Amino acid sequence: MPLPAELSIPLSQHLGKPAKPVVRMNDEVKKGQLVGEADGFISANVHASTSGKVRAIRPHPHPGGQYAMTVFITPDGKDEWAEGLNSAPVDWKGMSKEEILKKIRDAGVVGMGGAGFPTNVKLSPPPDKKIDTIILNGAECEPFLTADHRLMVESPEAVVAGLEIMASLFPGTLKLAIGIEANKPDAIDALQQYAVPKKIEVLALKTKYPQGAEKQLINAITGRNVGEGELPFDRGCIVQNIGTAVAVYDAVCRNRPLIERVVTVSGMEIARQKNISARIGTSFSDIIAFCGGMSEKTNQVISGGPMMGKAIFSLDVPVVKTTSGILFINNSALGKSRERACIRCGRCVEVCPQGLAPWLLANVAQLRQLEKIQLLGLANCTECGSCTYVCPSGRELVHWIKYAKALVSSRKQRKSA
Amino acid sequence: MISDAFIPAVSSLGAVALALGLIIHYVSKRFHVEEDPTVKLVNSILPGVNCGACGFPSCNQFAEVLVETRNNAMTCPVGGPDLAVKLGETLGMAMAEPKAQTAVVLCQGKNDVARRSAQYLGIQDCWAATQAFAGPKQCRYSCIGLGSCIAWCDFGAMRLENGLIVIDKNLCTGCAACIPVCPTGVLVMQDKKAARYFIACNSHDRGAATKKACDAGCTACQKCVKVCEDNAIVIEDFLARIIQEKCTACGKCIEVCPTKVNCIRLERDLNAVKQAS
Repeated sequence: MPLPAELSIPLSQHLGKPAKPVVRMNDEVKKGQLVGEADGFISANVHASTSGKVRAIRPHPHPGGQYAMTVFITPDGKDEWAEGLNSAPVDWKGMSKEEILKKIRDAGVVGMGGAGFPTNVKLSPPPDKKIDTIILNGAECEPFLTADHRLMVESPEAVVAGLEIMASLFPGTLKLAIGIEANKPDAIDALQQYAVPKKIEVLALKTKYPQGAEKQLINAITGRNVGEGELPFDRGCIVQNIGTAVAVYDAVCRNRPLIERVVTVSGMEIARQKNISARIGTSFSDIIAFCGGMSEKTNQVISGGPMMGKAIFSLDVPVVKTTSGILFINNSALGKSRERACIRCGRCVEVCPQGLAPWLLANVAQLRQLEKIQLLGLANCTECGSCTYVCPSGRELVHWIKYAKALVSSRKQRKSA
Repeated sequence: MISDAFIPAVSSLGAVALALGLIIHYVSKRFHVEEDPTVKLVNSILPGVNCGACGFPSCNQFAEVLVETRNNAMTCPVGGPDLAVKLGETLGMAMAEPKAQTAVVLCQGKNDVARRSAQYLGIQDCWAATQAFAGPKQCRYSCIGLGSCIAWCDFGAMRLENGLIVIDKNLCTGCAACIPVCPTGVLVMQDKKAARYFIACNSHDRGAATKKACDAGCTACQKCVKVCEDNAIVIEDFLARIIQEKCTACGKCIEVCPTKVNCIRLERDLNAVKQAS
């Protein structure tokens, strides 16, 4: 898509501490130049996604719903790369482990499925955890989203190379797998060509939601259960998103920082649905203009998927590293009314992939019984939204659970302060 | 037939009841705790709302500690000076008077003044709303207006009016229970005064952004700072603040305030006036 008139690049596009700004107002920056430096272990670098001038650094709406420190760049139109970046593909096989990790860290690669966990941190598990399986998540996290699908079809080579690079960081022979939902046969075909000679399994998984959730994917592929309070590496697994694998390849072999990502633009109310490769920092309103505008009936614009995404409150919010999709919908047809009482039908219990009782969690959250709710497995909820989706009483189950999580963490902070 | 089952049942249950009764009687005599009658007396004078403003979880505990330590610096903000006098009479000592305080909303963003960002349909609770986004008003420092604090007020002093929390000064006892509940921190405590001027705005946005979002927002224009003869107004992070200790309530600042709805407010605390006169 064409270069927008202004890019707003938030310094917090990942899990953990926001990056520290390293540019100042009126500085000239080149494409790919560092503008925010990782501040601490769990943090990530942020780069300029075109060349131009820094107009301001101030708080700006973020697709996560809050305000975040944002670097505004007015492009100069030349789109010049900074020195040493965007080189011709180099072979990664001669590189040492540390070199590869440093390149991934410098490029600011984070999990692109939605959580935004810094990839270099994920790839350096504690030494006592033995990793024997690396899984690439091609299951596409949510309905509507097709960004990873396109990426698998269009650049299977980079996907496979990214996985190989990540595998080279661990000793011994690993099981490498790419899990793809069975409704994407073209992606499976495309990947198989490159993956099979490299002894990478391409597995067709049942199409269901949430197949792309980390814990569910591990269970589907290895049969292991990641229990409460455990992380995938406790069960010897690392799961990475397709987009992340490509970003790792770009970072290691082509010296390209993460300044662009594939975004699915979809929903009934946008003129042209498509996958676009958008620069980080492109505002949603620029994307709307590029896709032919949204209809007047639009009453929700969602960043992310329909199940876990967030309705945004301003069209000025930018695309960030974790923006997998933008949906334009009119949900008045759903006839959303106020919450009614739980009728104990048990559908939420049936659909919960984590084996929780969402109705009970929501009830306890409503009563603000924060000790009790933690005993009921609050931390285990992945906020997939399946319970809210099936609830015949229209209860905001996930929202209540998120609410309880927020209260619990704010209380913990207050206690430690 | 009936009596066959009836007699053993009644007699066995009766025997059990008698045995338990005797145990209870013995325990109550053996472990009897002598209670200070003054604690009961003090407790009966206290407001009895268990609001926690004194720092103790209940009025009873306050009474116990007070009777035991005879610390005349302990105060009950809810009872106010009247209670301090009564407590002093009961205990035969001079009690310190509590500072008369009241909760204040640092926002005037009613729906007709503050512009909105998006319609919020989720759970009607301020904390739940902040999980979804920065708040239904464009100003992210504002009163969110879903009234989470109302449930925490033991005195019914808070109500929602056109998207803004309003505090009934006559009912607010200054217990400060509402203060930590507000996610945006627009609630603060202020000392009661005969005439109390304060900036009823919480926005740290730059002037232009504040003005765009709200007609009652402090744009940090400096006019009040310049006109104040007592140097009682300072601007901190794009927001004016009146230093209560320095303010002589001359009212010049309100005259020069250029915002459509004055961001400076004057409130008169009737109780405080009574005491002064």
